[in-house]
Amino acid sequence: MQATTMNFSIEPITHDSVVIRVGKALDFRNAADFKAATQEQVRSGIRNFILDFSETGILDSTGLGSIFSLYRQVSPMSGQVVFASVSRPVQVVVQLTRTYKVFRQFPTVEAARESMR
Amino acid sequence: MSQHTILIVEDEHTLRRLLEYRLGKQYSVRTAANGEEALERIAEEVPRLIISDVMMPKMDGFALQAALQEKDETKAVPFIFLTAKADEASLLRGRRTGVDDYITKPFDIDQLLSRVNRLLERTAQFQSQLDAKIGQDFSQKLMPKKMPSASGYRTFFHSAPREHGGGDIFDCTQPRPGVHFITIGDVMGKGLQAKFYAFSFLGYIRSTLHAMLRTTSSPAELMTRVNQVLMDDPPLEDTFASLLLIKWEPERNLVTYANAGHCRPVLLGPRGAEVVSYSDMILGLDANAEFKDTSLILQPGSALVSYTDGLLEQVMKNGEQLGEEGILQFVQRAHGKADPVQALIGNVLEESSETRFGDDILMFWLEREASRERQSRGPAPRWFSPFSEGTES
Repeated sequence: MQATTMNFSIEPITHDSVVIRVGKALDFRNAADFKAATQEQVRSGIRNFILDFSETGILDSTGLGSIFSLYRQVSPMSGQVVFASVSRPVQVVVQLTRTYKVFRQFPTVEAARESMR
Repeated sequence: MSQHTILIVEDEHTLRRLLEYRLGKQYSVRTAANGEEALERIAEEVPRLIISDVMMPKMDGFALQAALQEKDETKAVPFIFLTAKADEASLLRGRRTGVDDYITKPFDIDQLLSRVNRLLERTAQFQSQLDAKIGQDFSQKLMPKKMPSASGYRTFFHSAPREHGGGDIFDCTQPRPGVHFITIGDVMGKGLQAKFYAFSFLGYIRSTLHAMLRTTSSPAELMTRVNQVLMDDPPLEDTFASLLLIKWEPERNLVTYANAGHCRPVLLGPRGAEVVSYSDMILGLDANAEFKDTSLILQPGSALVSYTDGLLEQVMKNGEQLGEEGILQFVQRAHGKADPVQALIGNVLEESSETRFGDDILMFWLEREASRERQSRGPAPRWFSPFSEGTES
């Protein structure tokens, strides 16, 4: 069970940027793992995060909280957290919390990468 | 790091590796070859369970177990002895305080595994019972003792916290006659931790309101201050919360609110039910976030219905979450019932996929009574003309 809930993967793209494929769910079951993994990335010098939500069907408030924590860590260091391929359930949560003002959104991971160049 | 770390203390290499291999399929396993090494491992990380041999060089199992009994943080860690000595004396010495099980070599590994599972389940259950008890206590303290009330109005409230639910907040205060402040919010996260943060956070909100209401009565200004507290105060660094601050002035039939990323309330008025759409960003994310006040006049017979995300995210029979559209429909159906909140909750549950709510449920229904005149004439009409309401003061 512990292994299957950790269904996100991290792919480096430049010396300070990564793409995180969020997977099917980011919720109370794997939010702590997500938080630990992204903290590790920040410690190793990563400042820009592209979150790929193309497969994400569940994003609950605990999951969203772990993304907020990441944002609060990198934003004082001029880092960015951007969203790519935002699925409908993720869009609903982003709308409700009005956080689109903070997380820029892109139709694809490619478009998000372009914006960071 | 995995939650269930098991420490195996065994000097015999082959047996140590075998146990590591078998237990490693289910748990995170660490090993030590004697009591001294075990104490080093335990100093790095306290395991959830210890399996230890008795006869070992340097420091034997009895000495290890005695050392663990002396420290509060290790005293309660479940402890299983493995020993080759099947003699009575050893057995008797083995049955001492803090030893949960005792297995004689040669042993069946599946039997050992089932005992390990059972012990861990038992401790986990004990923990969750304790959490539930503390959580319930927090939940009770988080809820109001008294509902706001005013003549010409009806208020209904329902709150049903779940032991593994989140940190729902509700508070009401009357800073001066004729003005009520109602706070509805949700601290992000799940379980006891969220409840604890909600509890502390509500303290901050109360004191902010108390301190600021002398100089302002704008929900947006109060919201800005609460956001700054969340941004600046290190203990609240990782706390994010959605919050709806409502100022209610019954004599003016006026409601003024600021909404920080909270579920948008429903206004049930002459034209049916609609979502009160204006809202700003959730608290704790952006120090420069701006908040705006929105005012609503409550017409006779209309109601403002606020709730938390447990209701919004309830999964219905069709497999979909209830959502704002669903809530609009249920609010309309409940309108006019003796207790509209209980009616709504009953209706939602009837059409849910499960027979109970999956998360904390909190709902507050503020309704202006239809005018007396109309009540005496019989049932209220389905619509209200703004011109016929001119006599209201």
